[in-house]
Formats: sequence, C-alpha cells, structure tokens
Amino acid sequence: MVETIDSNKKFQKELNSGTAALVLLSILARADEPMYGYRIAKLMEAGDESSPMMKQGALYPVLRSLENSGLLESYVDPSISGPPRRYYKITDSGLRTLKSWTEIWDQTKKFVDNVLKGKNDV
Amino acid sequence: MCKDVQDYLAKLKKELGSSADPALVQDALSDAETHLRTALEEELSENPSLSETEILIPVVEKYGSPSEVAAAYLAIEPHLSPILGQRPHLDPRSFLEKFFGVLGESSAWSAFFYMLLAFIPGLIFGSWAILGGIVSAGSLLFIIGLPIFGLFLLSIRGIALLEGRIVEALLGVRMPRRPLFLSKGLSWSDRYVALVKDNYSWRALLYAVLLFPLGLIYTGLFSLLFVFSLSFITSPVLELIFHVPLDLFGDNVFTPVWFLPIVFVAGLLLLPLTLHLAKLAGKIHGQYAKAMLVRK
Repeated sequence: MVETIDSNKKFQKELNSGTAALVLLSILARADEPMYGYRIAKLMEAGDESSPMMKQGALYPVLRSLENSGLLESYVDPSISGPPRRYYKITDSGLRTLKSWTEIWDQTKKFVDNVLKGKNDV
Repeated sequence: MCKDVQDYLAKLKKELGSSADPALVQDALSDAETHLRTALEEELSENPSLSETEILIPVVEKYGSPSEVAAAYLAIEPHLSPILGQRPHLDPRSFLEKFFGVLGESSAWSAFFYMLLAFIPGLIFGSWAILGGIVSAGSLLFIIGLPIFGLFLLSIRGIALLEGRIVEALLGVRMPRRPLFLSKGLSWSDRYVALVKDNYSWRALLYAVLLFPLGLIYTGLFSLLFVFSLSFITSPVLELIFHVPLDLFGDNVFTPVWFLPIVFVAGLLLLPLTLHLAKLAGKIHGQYAKAMLVRK
C-alpha cells in the first residue's frame, strides 16, 4: 500500500511539473489585475478543494521560472500591513505561449483519453 | 511539525542545503515567509482563538513540507541561470580567436559598461551611505535619531537589492531577486534590534560606502583605456587625412608617419585587452558583491 501511495505521489509530481506552468499562465491570463502568489494559490485551491493537485510552495519556483523566460512579469508592492508582495502579470509572449500550450494540452488529453478508453473497452 | 514561521524557515534553509546558491535560498525563504505570514494572518482573523502553532499545521500542509518545497526549488533552479552567465565549459578557439573574439562577446561588453558607468551607482549609493550614515548616526544623540537610523539601515538594504539587480544584469552573477524583510509578529523594538544586529545590514552599508571609491577607480581606469585605444586606432586617419593632432595630456603632437602603424596596432591590441580586463574585473567584482550583498 505504501508503495502505491509513493508511486501515486511520484506520478502526480511528474504530471504537475508539466502542467503547473500551463495552469499558472491560464490563471494569470484570465485575471483582470496582477496577482500575488498567495491569491493564485487560493484560486487554485478553490478550483479543487477535495485533493489539491500540488503543494502551494511548489508554485513559486514555477512562477520564477516563467518570469525568467519572459512569459510573466512582476513587481513588488510593499504592503502596509504585511510583508511586501510580488505581483505577477502575464506578458504578450506569455499569452502567445499559453495559446500554443493549450493546443498541445488538448491534443495530449485527447490522445491519452483515447488510449485509456481503448484499454477499458478490451 | 513546525512551531512557528521562523522554525519552518530554518528547516527549509536546512533542506535547501549548504551547497545551494545563497541567492536561491534567500528567494525561497522570502517566498515562503510572505506566503505563510499572509496565510497565517488570514486564518487568524477567521479563528482568533487558535494559537500560531495550531494554525500553522493546515497552512504548512497546503504549502508543502520544508523538504517538498526545497525539492521544488532545487528542481527548477538549473533552468534559471542568469542570462549572461552561461559560458561554454570547453573553449576550442585558438589564442588569437579568444583574444579578439572578446570584441563580439556581449558578456564582456556588459561588464565593460558596468565598469565604465560604475561612478553613477558609486556616487549615488556611496554618498547616500556616507552622508546618510553620518547624519543618522549623529541624530542618535537624540531620541528622534533611533527611527531615523532604522530607516537609514532599511534604505541601505533596498540599495543592496537594487545594486544586486544591476550586478546580475551586467555581470551575470546570480543575485537575490526578492527583498529581505524583517519578521512580522515581532514588536517594533525587537524588529529594530534584529535590523541592527543583522550583519547583512552592515555588510550592505560597507559595500555601499566602498562603491564610492571603487566606482571612481573603475570609471577612471576604463574610460582612460577606452579613450586611449580609440584614439590610437583612429590616429592615422585623423592625422593624415583630417590633420587633427593626437592630444596627449594637453600637448598637441603629430606622430611621425613611420610610427603611425605602430600606434594603430597598439590601439587594436589595447581595445580587446581592455575588454578582457573588464571581464576579469567584472568577475572579481561579481564575487565580491555576492559575498557582501547576499544574506548568509
């Protein structure tokens, strides 16, 4: 059983490493204003309360990586009540990337679904 | 289980390990601290009767344990090298290609521009550190001086972050991208003591003060070398065609014609040499900035 949990965790982690960037880009593309990490994490949590797909702490390095690749831009706002927050906003290049990544995702999803369904039918 | 946010951060730092880039560690701690404190604040306002340790359990459960979060940062960092910091490990070029090839290296030119313009941050940061330091230290004689001195130290930490961004952009050395902030939940006096006791504040102050003479030396040296190499290279054209003499320290002299090719070649050699020197100085300065401006 422990082995199953471990392998499930590992599988989920491997899936997340590819999809987290797509999910973050999509959230920021739909946002009306720049968002900081905690709010993004909250939004993701609201979409999936039963079993959060990934740990919130793992979002931050992905945000940094997206910013480093020019898909996001950010600025720091020194908040009065708490620690300074870093706000992220999607760039034009990020929007273009999101579009092509969404197409890749749709194709992948279709392919995996077809294979899985085919297997179930046998 | 973590007692409080400080405890979590200490564990996260340990998990990131001593071999991790200190700038990455600072960023990871800064991200975690901002997130956890914001989450704590929100949860506390909803459940004021619970203690910080109790509230922290579900918050950390969602954020991820220190080992999970450290693994996420360490997995992504190799893809995040500074744009100008990437160099091939093996250089198959010949000596001459390497010597003149520096003219086409963007990292050499950016290090050169850092050196050439170093007097600007040197003057601004250095004079702020020196004059601000004297004025705020002097004001410590009065009670009003305490907050002034605290604000001064905070401004120095802001300068350290800004200079770090310049160093990373031009010298290609990975520097912190997130500001440091003092722990919330501490009283004003404790925060003040933490700010003054943190040797990072003092290292940043020393860096800012030393940037003043260093900036002047860098700018002086590299502008001189650059002007010399350019005037040597252009001297045959200027002297023979436009009849403009070489202006050496105020003495207008025409170079003997037989000597002009030597001057020209000297200029051609001096320009790549200047860039090599800028690269070397940039490398040393980058390491020095990293030692001074990253929290240990």
